[in-house]
Amino acid sequence: MGPLIPQGIIPMGWDFVIALLIGIAFGFVLEASGFSSSRNITGVFYGYNFVVLRVFFTAVVVAMIGLQYFDYFGWIDLNQIYVLPTFLSPMIVGAIIMGVGFVLGGFCPGTSYTAIAIGKIDAMVFTGGLFLGIFLFSEFFPFFEQFYYSGNMGSITIGEFFGISNNLVTLIFVVIAVIAFYVTWRIELRVRKNMTQYKF
Amino acid sequence: MNKNYIILMGILILLAAGLLVLPLKNNSKQLDPEVLMWDIVQPTRYVSTDEVAKMIIEHDPLLVMVDVRSAEDFQLFSLTNAINFPLDSLALDDAKSALTFNKRNMVFYSNDDLKSDQAWVIAKRLGLKNIYVLKGGLNRWIQTIIQPEAPAETASEAEFNLYAFRQGASQYFTGGSISIDQSPQAEIVVSRKKKAKAAEGGC
Repeated sequence: MGPLIPQGIIPMGWDFVIALLIGIAFGFVLEASGFSSSRNITGVFYGYNFVVLRVFFTAVVVAMIGLQYFDYFGWIDLNQIYVLPTFLSPMIVGAIIMGVGFVLGGFCPGTSYTAIAIGKIDAMVFTGGLFLGIFLFSEFFPFFEQFYYSGNMGSITIGEFFGISNNLVTLIFVVIAVIAFYVTWRIELRVRKNMTQYKF
Repeated sequence: MNKNYIILMGILILLAAGLLVLPLKNNSKQLDPEVLMWDIVQPTRYVSTDEVAKMIIEHDPLLVMVDVRSAEDFQLFSLTNAINFPLDSLALDDAKSALTFNKRNMVFYSNDDLKSDQAWVIAKRLGLKNIYVLKGGLNRWIQTIIQPEAPAETASEAEFNLYAFRQGASQYFTGGSISIDQSPQAEIVVSRKKKAKAAEGGC
C-alpha cells in the first residue's frame, strides 16, 4: 500500500500540509519531553542527563522495527522509500560541526525552535547564529563544494554495506539501545543526587 | 529500574528477534517483471525519426540522444550531440547513475531498433525513467531524414508537408542544398494564325 505519496494514494500537493502537521506534532513532543531546556540537552555531553540519547534511540528503534514489520505485512514497500545518499567524509565533518554546535549552543536546530515557542531568549540568540551560519555556508560554498560532494557511496544502507540483512541490523541496534538505556540509567543513578524517576 | 521499563525493553528485543525468523523479502531494486512485461508490449516507447529531427533542430533542452552502438561506429557517424553508451556498458555497476539525467528524455538509437530495444529493456529494469527508442534506428534516419523520398503525385497534402520538412531537415543535417527539379520546362508554343493575305483579284 505505502508509501502513500509515491503510490499516488495521497496526491503530491498534500505533502507540505502533511509535513506541517508532522512538524507540529514533532515540536510538541520535543517540548513535552523537555527538549526545550538546553540543560537537558547538553547533559548528555557532560554525563548527567541522558534523556536525549534515550528519546532518539527509542525513536530510531521503534521506527526500525515498525517499518520492517510494515514491509512484511505489505503495508509499505521499503524499496520505494527514499534513502539519502551517503557522502562519508563530508558527513563525518558535518557531524563534528553539528556536535560542537550542539554542546556550545545547547540546542540543535529543531529544539531551538521549540525553545523559542516557549519564549527562551538564549534560543533566539541561537537561531540568530543558525541563520548566520546558513548565510556564511551559502556564500563560501564554492570553496568547499568539491569536498561537499566527495566520497559519494550512493543510497546505501548499513545492511547493504556489510552484506547482512536489514532485520539483523535492526536486532543489533535494539540490543545496543537496550544496553545504552541500562548503562546511562546506572550512570545517572550515581551522578545525580536528586533524580526523579518518571513513572507511567 | 521501573518494572514497566524492563517489560518494554523485553518487548522491543522480542519484536526485533522476531524479525529474524521472517522470510527474507526480495529487496532487489529492479522493476517488477509484470510491470516490465506490460511496458514492453506498449508501442509508446518509440519515437519517429521525424520527431527526433524536429527536437534536434529546435535544440530541445530535454533531449538526450544515446548511441548504444560500439565506440568505433559512433566515431564514424552519430547524431548531433549524441552520447555514446555501448550496449555492453549497461551491465556496469555505475550504468544507472551515469544515465540518470534529471527529468530529461533519453532516446536510445542503434543501426536499427534491435540493440536500442535491448538497451531500453535493461535501462527499464534498472529503474530509469523517461526513456525511448528511435523507431527504425539510423537506417530509417538515413531513409527518411537524410535522403527523403518524394511522395507520389497523388499523395495527400500532409505527406507533401512532411516531405518538405524532411527536405529542410536533410539540409540542416547534411549542410547540402535542396535539389530543385531543373528539368527543362516544356516550351510553350505560341501558334499564331497566319494573317490572311490581302484578297487578290479573282473576280
